[in-house]
Amino acid sequence: MLTAICGDMPERDRRNLNLANVWMLIWLACFGGATWLINGGLIAEGVVGWVVAALPTVVAIGAILAYGRYLREADELQRKIQLQALALGFGVGLFFGFGYRLFERLGAPTASISDASVVIAFFYFVGLWLGRRKYA
Amino acid sequence: MKNRLKVLRAERDWTQAHLARELDVSRQTVNAIETGKYDPSLPLAFSIAALFEQSIEEIFSPEQSNSNRR
Repeated sequence: MLTAICGDMPERDRRNLNLANVWMLIWLACFGGATWLINGGLIAEGVVGWVVAALPTVVAIGAILAYGRYLREADELQRKIQLQALALGFGVGLFFGFGYRLFERLGAPTASISDASVVIAFFYFVGLWLGRRKYA
Repeated sequence: MKNRLKVLRAERDWTQAHLARELDVSRQTVNAIETGKYDPSLPLAFSIAALFEQSIEEIFSPEQSNSNRR
């Protein structure tokens, strides 16, 4: 998906980005599996439960390292586009997180941290699209 | 910043994709430099100069443009 958004790129960048995407898919599978097991009450509380709950976080470290490697080695324009996309996603997510608390006090539905994550991801991809369009 | 990248590439009958492979960057980067939307870093400018066997000053000139200041 990221490859499609970032367009053509050197083989090195494609390989690094594909690796980061694979890590993300593994994380999604682990997170989904752990959520299913825990919410379904299929595993007992205790050490096994803690290990299952920790697994997505451990995998996430791999995903973050893979994405960091992609950023370090990426083509310089792609790095700039990624930086601007991250700034947009993180900035909007941060201010959404704080700003929405005011709306909650006025009666808006309560938002969780996962809602802010969706906002961050959405605006990150908007940033990628804007960057790609800007330098097309 | 103005540059003669498009002219130099055309003289060698290279495509943007070919130049991008030579420089180990994306075709989008080559296109953005040629159209003045993006000014390359100093290392990339040196790579371009070495590839075309010219000095940086012969390829790039410090004329004002919109590029990286946006």
